[in-house]
Amino acid sequence: MTSPASKRLFKEYRGLSSDPPEGITAGPVTEDNMFLWEALIQGPEGTPFEGGVFPAKLEFPKDYPLAPPTMQFLCEMWHPNVYPNGTVCISILHPPGDDPHHYEQASERWSPIQSVEKILISVMSMLAEPNDESPANVDAARMWREKRGEYEDRVRENVRKGLGL
Amino acid sequence: MAEQTLNIPQTVVFVLVVFLIVRWYYAKPSNAARLPPGQNRGFQVDPTQVDQIAQMFPQLGRREIMWDLQRNGGNVSATTERILSGRGLENPPPSFQPQTLRSAPAATAPRTATRTENKPAHPDLITRYNLSSKLHAAAEASTSGSEAPKKIWSQDRDERQRNLQRRREEMILTARRRLEEKEKTKDTGVSA
Repeated sequence: MTSPASKRLFKEYRGLSSDPPEGITAGPVTEDNMFLWEALIQGPEGTPFEGGVFPAKLEFPKDYPLAPPTMQFLCEMWHPNVYPNGTVCISILHPPGDDPHHYEQASERWSPIQSVEKILISVMSMLAEPNDESPANVDAARMWREKRGEYEDRVRENVRKGLGL
Repeated sequence: MAEQTLNIPQTVVFVLVVFLIVRWYYAKPSNAARLPPGQNRGFQVDPTQVDQIAQMFPQLGRREIMWDLQRNGGNVSATTERILSGRGLENPPPSFQPQTLRSAPAATAPRTATRTENKPAHPDLITRYNLSSKLHAAAEASTSGSEAPKKIWSQDRDERQRNLQRRREEMILTARRRLEEKEKTKDTGVSA
């Protein structure tokens, strides 16, 4: 609890617990290690993800909030901006210095004024609106573009599977 | 009298020379101590350079390539030249255990392995959080009146942990219940 990073994470944890955003539950797996969190995100309404709950882990670097955390879904996630191994690829998780795709606005990227809450909300809206410009999962991106029905069926199937149905 | 007195320019030159000699003497060993680690131990071989050479000469071991790169300060063309000239690479001493040796092959491997390896069978949320016993209990509780999930920040660490867990379970069980209901109404709608 001594390092500035864990202090800041503790503060964010308190904020997220006392005033949780709609459809988001997040916190450290145990308070012994503030650098590993687990989050649950609800699928946004009006999308094929609706009704689903998606678990993900967040790993924070020791120099957080200077550097962003990484986020990985712990469930089947068929989405253009999520790698097949579950790692999320959105601009808010990229440090301002490196821009692997050379299209992101600096303001969209990670900076210490961002927060876990903002990441999770961004991921939620990413589920609703995939970013076609930087597909992390090329197959999912192609399916989303060309066979939307098939894509939605697959996502809905994952929602059911995730809830044990 | 004239022989004994030193004039001012002479004194100044003498002091300057002594100063420079002393400086040179003390500076030399520290420079000498700094250089070798820069060339040898402190130098980290870039795994991409090793990959580069290993791709050109697959018959050579990564350790030998690293050893040569380590000794010439990461000069890929020098190592390539040396291999092409037929001199071959030296066998590194047994004590040479580069840290990057292990991580490097792993870094190149995923390209091909991703497809198969990164498809872990994820357990569903009910299994993951061990909620099967609570499935039915929760369904009954919800009909009698659902209590709002706790949003209170407790000062007690264990209680905080429990609250978080409760909110998690609540979220999953609610979602599951809703989905079940939705499917039920859909089924009856289809059959009717």
